[in-house]
Amino acid sequence: MKKALQYFYKYLKPYWKGISLVIILTLAMTYFQVVAPVYMGNTVTDLTNILKGHGSMTTFYHDLWLMIVFYGLNVLTMGLSWTITSVFNAHANNNMRKNLFTKLQKMTIKYFDTHQDGKLLSLFTSDIDNIFNAMNNAVFEIIAQSALFIGTIVMMLLINVKLALITMASTPLVVIISIVIMKKASFYLDRQQEEIGALNGYINEQINGQKVIITNGLQKDSVQGFTVQNDKVRKTMFKGQFYSGLLYPLMTGLSLLNLAIVISAGALLIMTGSMSTAKGLGLLVMFVQYSQQYFQPLMQLTSIYSMMQLGLTGAKRLKEVEDQPEEDRVPNGQILTAVKKGVSLNDVHFSYNEKKEILHGVSLDVKAGKYVALVGPTGSGKTTVMNLLNRFYDVNQGSVTFDGIDVRQLTLTSLRQNVGIVLQDSVLFTGTIAENIKYGKPNATDEEMIDAAKQAQIHDFIMTLPDQYETLIGADNEIFSTGQKQLLSIARTILTNPAFLILDEATSNVDTVTEEKIQKAMDNVIMGRTSFVIAHRLKTILNADRIVVLKNGQVLEEGSHQALLAQKGFYYDLYTSQMAFE
Amino acid sequence: MQILREHLFKYPTYILGAVISAVASIGTMLYQPKLLQDILNAILKNNMDAIKTLSVWLIFLAVIGVISGIYNVYFAAKIAQNVTSDLRLRTYQKIQSFSFGNIEHFSSGSLVVRLINDMNQITNLLMSVFMQFLRMPLMFIGAFIMGVYTLPRLWWLEILMIILVILVSIFTFQKMGRLFGQVQIFMDKINTRAKETLQGMRVVKSFNQEANNSANFNQTSDELNKINLWIGYIFSASFPAFMLATYAAIALAIYLVGGSITSHPSDVAAISSYVTYLSLVMNAIIVIGMTATMVSRGLVSLERIKEVLDTKPDLTYVTDQDEDLKGSVEFKHVSFTYPDSKQETLHDISFKVAPGQKIGIVGKTGSGKSTLAQLIARLYDPSSGEIDLGGKNIKEVSQKTVTKTVSFVLQRAILFSGTINENLRQGKKTASQAEIEKAAQIAQAEEFISKYPDTFEHEVEERSANFSGGQKQRLSLARGVVGNPVVLILDDSTSALDAKSEKLVQEGLAKHLKGTTTFIIAEKLVSVKDADQILVLDDGHLSACGTHAELLKTSPVYQEIYQTQKAKERRSDLS
Repeated sequence: MKKALQYFYKYLKPYWKGISLVIILTLAMTYFQVVAPVYMGNTVTDLTNILKGHGSMTTFYHDLWLMIVFYGLNVLTMGLSWTITSVFNAHANNNMRKNLFTKLQKMTIKYFDTHQDGKLLSLFTSDIDNIFNAMNNAVFEIIAQSALFIGTIVMMLLINVKLALITMASTPLVVIISIVIMKKASFYLDRQQEEIGALNGYINEQINGQKVIITNGLQKDSVQGFTVQNDKVRKTMFKGQFYSGLLYPLMTGLSLLNLAIVISAGALLIMTGSMSTAKGLGLLVMFVQYSQQYFQPLMQLTSIYSMMQLGLTGAKRLKEVEDQPEEDRVPNGQILTAVKKGVSLNDVHFSYNEKKEILHGVSLDVKAGKYVALVGPTGSGKTTVMNLLNRFYDVNQGSVTFDGIDVRQLTLTSLRQNVGIVLQDSVLFTGTIAENIKYGKPNATDEEMIDAAKQAQIHDFIMTLPDQYETLIGADNEIFSTGQKQLLSIARTILTNPAFLILDEATSNVDTVTEEKIQKAMDNVIMGRTSFVIAHRLKTILNADRIVVLKNGQVLEEGSHQALLAQKGFYYDLYTSQMAFE
Repeated sequence: MQILREHLFKYPTYILGAVISAVASIGTMLYQPKLLQDILNAILKNNMDAIKTLSVWLIFLAVIGVISGIYNVYFAAKIAQNVTSDLRLRTYQKIQSFSFGNIEHFSSGSLVVRLINDMNQITNLLMSVFMQFLRMPLMFIGAFIMGVYTLPRLWWLEILMIILVILVSIFTFQKMGRLFGQVQIFMDKINTRAKETLQGMRVVKSFNQEANNSANFNQTSDELNKINLWIGYIFSASFPAFMLATYAAIALAIYLVGGSITSHPSDVAAISSYVTYLSLVMNAIIVIGMTATMVSRGLVSLERIKEVLDTKPDLTYVTDQDEDLKGSVEFKHVSFTYPDSKQETLHDISFKVAPGQKIGIVGKTGSGKSTLAQLIARLYDPSSGEIDLGGKNIKEVSQKTVTKTVSFVLQRAILFSGTINENLRQGKKTASQAEIEKAAQIAQAEEFISKYPDTFEHEVEERSANFSGGQKQRLSLARGVVGNPVVLILDDSTSALDAKSEKLVQEGLAKHLKGTTTFIIAEKLVSVKDADQILVLDDGHLSACGTHAELLKTSPVYQEIYQTQKAKERRSDLS
């Protein structure tokens, strides 16, 4: 709650002028709204007086005129305050969204590796949206409705204490009923949500494994399992829907009942009291309006309750994201301009979480201009090494150095400018092919881009596309195969001309013939550059200056291809079991 | 709508209840102002008895209103609960009758969304139809009639107000509808950007593109903001406009009543109830406008569910006879095109396999290897040509026989939450524990299973998060070989295993599944080198077929693949 409020405070503070104005307008609006019924009642009194023979039309027109003025001002102030509110709400919300995006980009890779994309994405899709709805509908509604509630009570008490008390008599009961129902509703909705969650889990797992179900002929069992879960949902759903749907009609009904009591009691009061008929009629007309106005805040506040809850939870989540530590960019560090001597890992120990160390004292050395390959079984820690070289993660012990300088002393920008990475899963962005190749160097010329594409062996394919370099790449149009995506991301890296290159080979869905093409592209990039290749198949790295075999987080063997074969160790086994021999 | 009707009619009592209670609750709301008017008249006439009777009526009516309101929700919830559950079950059953082709047509992600999100929308639709949508037209018509009845002289005033309010709401809801459509488009853009950035965070960071990326995002966000501002303006103007129309009508009514009060003295008692009727009419129009958007959203979801229900499973079985088939497989001029594709994936393929043979299938990515394997298990039907399993046309065999005869181990190892035992038994429900253990042995899974204290009863968590990729593949493999299948298809299903385990699996298969016809799809030629036949696929054509030695001599495609995997050295150089 505190976090959520801090969050709102931060984003609403710049608009304090508008907010103050809205509060004043809202109070004015409420004033007009609670006073207007007095004049409506007065007109009825005036007319009754005329009928009884001692009234004048002038008074009637005067009161009618005042009623019109008050209702008019009510509408005007309402329109103004809503307009101002919607303007700063929209702007505040826009700032929240922009800040969230910028903030996310500043966070550590660890954060993204430990949080699911889907959950982070829901910050954009649902939380920001919930906050927007809550701010538009709930926040100022609370002010307006509270003001209306208090205003109505004050007016009623001023006009007629007895009738006012009668109108309010049922309030404690109404409040208790609504609290009980809201509690029940949230209890049963939670249970319903739990069961629906379980059902959704089941659906997700089964449908995503549908091919296994089909190939094993398990359809009937699957439906059986579904029916069990579905019936559980069916059972809990009734109460959830009933209690959550109950509040509004019940409040409407109670408002009706209260009105009936007010009318009856008021009528009896007038008949038995000393009041004139004319005054009595006017009074009753006023209280008919007030009794409805009195219930309106109670009804509104209960209906925006859930919206507010969602908004507050959203704000809390966003505040938590904003409080996350950011990547240390070492703004005052040394600036890396080139790799003159080489890159090394010195006795590096590393773990993603405290329980399990991944690298146990790894030392590696890539001399300037040399090509080093890293091989080893899955889970040996190969990709982890890449994460350390680019400072996606920091070592626990030991150091990673560029030309002898610890990476933690280099500015992050200069480090990453000098390190080019081709990742295992080629990530492309929505946009044209040209935009994607120029991604790392937006001001590159078309000649540079085409040159990079040629080196990456993808230019010829691009030229066969109808829009060539202007072809749009999107999430749903699959123009490129996995292998071609890898080639495109190689082109993207070539264009930035990095001093040090890290290449994490694609493993999935690339056949050995395509692999050969990728290898040619790789050879083009590697030539004359300090490079580090993480290989999954051995065929691609046979020309490496040095091959390092990593197993279980330790360097097991290293040397040239021939030397390693001669050792007849792990590399030898790997090689002979992967390759075909004549 | 047709679909909903079918399910709704299963619960006539609830529907009747919902309708009656809605009518009752609206009735009480509409009749109350009339009673108020009568009371005011009674006061004017000083009629105490009438006031007392009317008061009792007034309170009685309100109590009925409360009770019928509660019952209305009760019935609406009953309907929503049962109809959505029934519809969900029916949709799920339908999906379970789908073939691979049907599933791929929709994509499993989309099916999940339909079962979860769309069904949710339908619940909301039913709740709002039976609670709001049903009531509001009644309220609108009732309040209008009562208003005319209360002050018949001013019938035109009511119509004037209604026309004004409707004009404003048509303008508003149309504009809003369009703007909300645009909001959706920009929201999608924002989501795509956010999603791509999250997924490609390593790329963004390694190219130092955070600032550029933010600038792009901010631009989209600002455009969204512009639309949100417009929506804000329209909304801020429209609701006060509704109020203005109502207030104007009220003021005009009082003015007109006042002007002719001496000729119509009883009208003074009518003012209050007339005002209430005017507000009710306006409220009804606004609520109808608002629920209409929710209803239209629900209808879109309903359409998406209908699409699933209307889909015909594209595989049909002419018989349900259970047979024991031999493991021979024959393709006779088989061609195949995926339902949503224009290009042929397999072209005129013929080959013959004897029971117990080991067959390798090799070729580049996209050459049609997996497709061919899927045809053997009748996951698709060929577009032309015929496939014989155990000497019978596979189309004339029952579903049960096919799944019993052919065991297919998929590329992606998928396990379900439950125990290891439950997962392995999916391969053969009646399998004995000895059979299960033997399967685990063959798949090289027993080694790690035996390390768990609860061995085969060990829990498989959701998304099988407690197993490594290699372990999952071994379990999936074990499930495939439970109970000695007649035909076994391994679709690149040992890719996550290290070379040594893979070799042990191969040996296990050779030793324990001697009679089984085995198809192996592999990237590595090493895995299929000793097969009885190797099918070489090239762009959907069966380019060659033979043993490793034969193909090396005759098939250029095979030679090309071989070249990319050949060691630089001769085996003799190494030893």
